[in-house]
Amino acid sequence: MANRHKENLPITAQGFMDEFMRLKRGSVTRRHFLTATGLGLATAVMSRVPGAISTPAYAEDLGSQMSIATWPNYHDPATFENFKAATGVAVEVNVFGSNEEMLAKLQAGATGWSLFVPTNYTIATYHKLGLIDELDLAKLPNFSAASENPRFTKEGQIDGKTYALPKNWGTTGFAVNTSKIKAPLTSWKDFFEIAQGEADGRAMVHDYQLTTIGSALVSLGLDFNSIKPEDLAKAEELLIKVKPHLFAINSDYQPAMRATDAWMTMCWTNDGAQLNRDIPEIHYILGKDGGEIWTDYYAIPKDAPNKAAGYALLNYLMDPKVAVKEHTANGAPTTDSRVLELLPKEIVSNKIVYPDEAALTPLEFGAAVTLTDPGRAELMARFKSA
Amino acid sequence: MGSAARDDIEFRSVTKAYGAVTAVRNISLNVPKGAFLALLGPSGCGKTTCLRMIGGFEQPTSGEVLIAGSGMNGVPPYRRPVNMVFQHYALFPHFNVEQNVAYGLRQMRPRIPAQEIKRRVGEALEMVRLGGFANRRIHEMSGGQQQRVALARALVNRPSVLLLDEPLAALDKKLRSAMQIELQTLQRELGITFVLVTHDQEEALSMADLVCVMSGGAIKQLGAPQDVYDRPADLFVADFVGKTNHIQATLEADGRTLRLPDGSALDVGAERNIGAGETTLAIRPEAIRLTPGGEPRGEGFAGTVTHRIFLGSSVEYSVSVPALGDFLVTADRSTDEGQLVEPGQSVRLGFDPAAAHLFPASHAAQPEGNTHGQQT
Amino acid sequence: MVTAMLLGPAAAWLVVFLVLPFIAIIVFSFGERAPEGGYQPAFTLAQFANLGARAAAFANTLTLAPIGALACLLVAYPVAYYLAVKADPRHRMLLVSLVVVPFWTSMLVRTYAWMYLLGGRGIPHLLDLVGFSDVRLLNTPGAVLLGIVYGYLPLMILPIYVSLEKLDRRLLEASADLGAHPFSTFFGITVPLSLPGVMTGIALVTILLLGEYLIPQLLGGGKVFFIGNALVDLFLQSRNWPFGSAIAVTLVAVVVMVLLIAMRIAWRVAGTRQVDLM
Repeated sequence: MANRHKENLPITAQGFMDEFMRLKRGSVTRRHFLTATGLGLATAVMSRVPGAISTPAYAEDLGSQMSIATWPNYHDPATFENFKAATGVAVEVNVFGSNEEMLAKLQAGATGWSLFVPTNYTIATYHKLGLIDELDLAKLPNFSAASENPRFTKEGQIDGKTYALPKNWGTTGFAVNTSKIKAPLTSWKDFFEIAQGEADGRAMVHDYQLTTIGSALVSLGLDFNSIKPEDLAKAEELLIKVKPHLFAINSDYQPAMRATDAWMTMCWTNDGAQLNRDIPEIHYILGKDGGEIWTDYYAIPKDAPNKAAGYALLNYLMDPKVAVKEHTANGAPTTDSRVLELLPKEIVSNKIVYPDEAALTPLEFGAAVTLTDPGRAELMARFKSA
Repeated sequence: MGSAARDDIEFRSVTKAYGAVTAVRNISLNVPKGAFLALLGPSGCGKTTCLRMIGGFEQPTSGEVLIAGSGMNGVPPYRRPVNMVFQHYALFPHFNVEQNVAYGLRQMRPRIPAQEIKRRVGEALEMVRLGGFANRRIHEMSGGQQQRVALARALVNRPSVLLLDEPLAALDKKLRSAMQIELQTLQRELGITFVLVTHDQEEALSMADLVCVMSGGAIKQLGAPQDVYDRPADLFVADFVGKTNHIQATLEADGRTLRLPDGSALDVGAERNIGAGETTLAIRPEAIRLTPGGEPRGEGFAGTVTHRIFLGSSVEYSVSVPALGDFLVTADRSTDEGQLVEPGQSVRLGFDPAAAHLFPASHAAQPEGNTHGQQT
Repeated sequence: MVTAMLLGPAAAWLVVFLVLPFIAIIVFSFGERAPEGGYQPAFTLAQFANLGARAAAFANTLTLAPIGALACLLVAYPVAYYLAVKADPRHRMLLVSLVVVPFWTSMLVRTYAWMYLLGGRGIPHLLDLVGFSDVRLLNTPGAVLLGIVYGYLPLMILPIYVSLEKLDRRLLEASADLGAHPFSTFFGITVPLSLPGVMTGIALVTILLLGEYLIPQLLGGGKVFFIGNALVDLFLQSRNWPFGSAIAVTLVAVVVMVLLIAMRIAWRVAGTRQVDLM
C-alpha cells in the first residue's frame, strides 16, 4: 500500500510536517504542500514541541512521547490530540510512501517507532526477520477478536500467535474520469489498452512493484503475485510498451486526476472514494479479471523505545468510538463489525468503500514473496529507466 | 589653435567630470608629430584621465580631443590609430608572447595574411630584444620582459601615437634606467609620437622632449625639460620638478631687495616683476655653494651641517640656518676639492641671486610646497 | 598544536560523516543482498558485474547531466556577465543576492511550484485561452530540463560571476586598444578568462545532477530515471544495499573523473593553476 490521500481536508501543522518529511525523503508528493509553506512551516514546528501541557497519569508510566510510522493522511488528526489529552503522551507521526521503505528503515534499525502500520503481505517477513513482537492481548482490552472479519485479520496471526491487529482493509482498482474517457472499462486488460489509445498520455500507474506489476500480470491472465520469470517477462513487455503512453509513474495521483492532467489511474479504495465524492464523473472500478485486496495492520517493533505507550495507543485505536472517526476520516472500510454498526449509512452503502462480494471475488491479497523478490524489483527498475 | 597637419594630438578646451568631481578642467594642448610628451604630476592631477581620453577609454564631458587632425568624440578605442602600453602591462595571460603581440594584427580588416603577421611579430620581438621568447607564457616572463612584450604588442600595429601609462613604475631602478634609454632610442628611430604618463619627474625629464606638468586637473607648465627645470612657472612646478629650498621673505618696492626673516637684506641682482610684498624665494640645492668654516661676518648665511648623504659623484648636506630653517645643498665632487664636510661642522651658504626664483606668496599655498620639494 | 586543535573538529566531522560512511559503502559494494533485503558479508564482484542492469539509468544521467549543465550555462553566463560587468556597482550586491535568495527556499518547494505552473491548470491553461489547446508540459523531458536549469542556476551564476568580477578590466581595454571589436573582445578575452568559473559551475552542476532524483521524479512523472532514482529505489524499495553501494561507488568515480577533466580544461585554457572550486 503506498500513498493514500485526503485532498479536500485542510492540512494541519502535523500533516504539513508529515508531508514535508515524506517529500524530503523523495517519496512522492502532495499539492497541499505549496499552500502550506512559509508560515505554515514555523507553525508546524512550534506545535510539535511535545509535553507542553501535562495531563492525568495513566495506570502505567507511559512517558511523554512516542512515535508512529504510518501512511499519509491515514488518521483523523483529532485522534492523536485526544490521545495526548487522555494520556499525556505526544505522538510523533512519521509517514511513508511504501511498505518497502518502512521495512528498509526497520532493517536499518533505531527507528524510534513504538507503533507502525504494515500491510498484510509484509507481516510474515517482519516476523521472519524478528523485527516485531507478539502482541500481549491482555494489554489490548478494546480489541475484540470475535467482531473481526477473519478474512481481513488472518495474516496478523502466525502459528496461532497474534503479531498485528487490523486497522482497515481496502482494494486496488482504477479511477477513470468518465467525462474524458467514453469507452467503458471493466478490467485491467481494458485499462492497459485504453492507456495506449483513448487515454494516451493521460494514464498513471503506481511507482510500486506490487500493484503495477501485479495489475499488468492480471491483465495478461496471469497471477497477481507471480514471480515466475516467464510471467514477469510478459508483464515487462507490456509495461515497457505502455510506458511511452503514460502520463506518469507515480503513486501520488490525486493532484493530477483533480487537475485533469491525468484521466485514468491505478487507485486505492480510499482515494477512489475521495475523488468520486468531489468529482462524481471520476469512477472507481475493480478489475473483473483481478487485482489486489489488502488489509493494513498495527504492529509494535521489537526495538520500540516506548512499548507501554505503543500498547496504550493501539488499545485506544481499537476503541470502536475512536475507530469510527478514523474510518470516517480516511475513507477505507473497517474489519470490525462493532465499528460497522456505528458508521453512518452513506459510508456503509458506498459501493466504492464496501463493494459487492461478487466484485471482491477475483481479487487477491498480496503475497509476502513479492516484497523480497529481486526479479520484481529489477523489473520495476527496467520499466522506470526504459 | 594648432594646425591639423603638424599636430598629432590636440586637446580643445577639454573638461572631464565624474559626477561632482572634475578630473580635467578646460585643458587645451597641442602635441606636434614625432614629439615625446610626458604628462607629469602627482596622483589625481588628471594626467591619466588625459591619456585615457586619447586612448578612447574616457569621453570628454566637454571639448574635443583630436588625433592627427580628426575629432575623436564618440570614436571607440578600437577605431583609434593609437596604442597603449598599460600600467602593469595588461598582457593576456591565456596567450603566449607571440599570440599577445599578434593580437592587434589579427584584429585588422582587411585581414593580414598569417605569414605577414608572423613576420611582423618576429620583427617586433627582435626590436625589443625578445627574439627567442615567442612561445613563452606570460607568467614565465620577468617584469622587464613583460614590459618589452607590452611595448612590442603596441608598436607592432604601427600606431600614429603610442601611449605609455606609467610604463616603468613596476621595474627596479637599474632596469628602469635601461628602459628609459631604450624607450628614447625607439621613439627616435620610429618617429612616432609618444605620450608618457608618469609621476616620476626624473623619468619625465630624462626621456621626454616636451614636459607637461599638471596639477588639480589643469596644466601648470608645458615646455622643454630644461625650461621646466630652470624656469619653473610657479612654486608648484619648482617643487614638483627637482628639489628646491624655500625662504619666506618680503620684496621691497624696488623689486630687487628682499627683506629676509633674520632682518638682513638680499639683493636679487635684477628687478623682478612680481610686485612687492610677501614672497617665496626658491633656490635649487645645486645652486648653493657650501664653504666650510663659519666666520660670522663672511658672505652668505652661517649654519651647521646636520646630515650628510653620500651619493658617490655628489654629496647632499642638510644645513640648519638660524632664523631661515633647513637647507638642502648638493655638492658636486668633481668640481669641489672633493673634501667632505662632517655633520656638526659650521659652514657658510651662498648663491648667485640670479639663480634664485621669486614667487608671490599666494603660490606658496600649495600643500606640496615643503622645503625640500618632491622626492621621487 | 593550536592548528591541530582548530582542525580537530573539522577532521573528526569529515571522518565520521564522510570517510566512514564511504568506507562502509565500499565494503557493502563487495557484499551480497540478504534474502530479505539489506546486506550480508561476502567478497564478490557480482554487484559491479551487474552494473549493466542500470545501464539505462547511467546513460540517462550521463546524457541529461551535461545537457542540463550546458543549458544552465547558456542562461547563467549572460546573467553573470550582466551582474559582474554591466550592472551599476551600487546595485550589484542587491542583484547578486536576488540570485541567491531563491536558494533559501527548499528546492522541493520550488520544484513543486513548477509542477503547478506546468500542470493543466497552469501555463497550458493560459495557452488554451489564447487558442493553443492540449499543450502538455508537465512530465516531459523538457520539463525536467527546465527544472534543472531553474534549480541549479545560482550554482552556475555565482562561480562565473566571481571569475568575471575578478577579471582585470584593463585586459578588456587592452583588447579594445589593439583594435578588437567588443564582440571579439568578448569571445577572445572575456570568455576564455572566465573559463575557470565556467568549469567550476559546470563541474558543480554536473556533479550534483549526477545525484539528482527529485526533479526527474516530480517534473518527469517518474518516467525519467536517473542514477539518483535508481539509488533511492535500491536502498528504500528493493533494499539491495550491496548493488546500491556498487552504483554509488561507481558514481563517485565518475564524479572524480568529471572534476579532474573540468579542472584540466580550465587550467589549460586560462593559463593558470589558480582554478578554485568556489
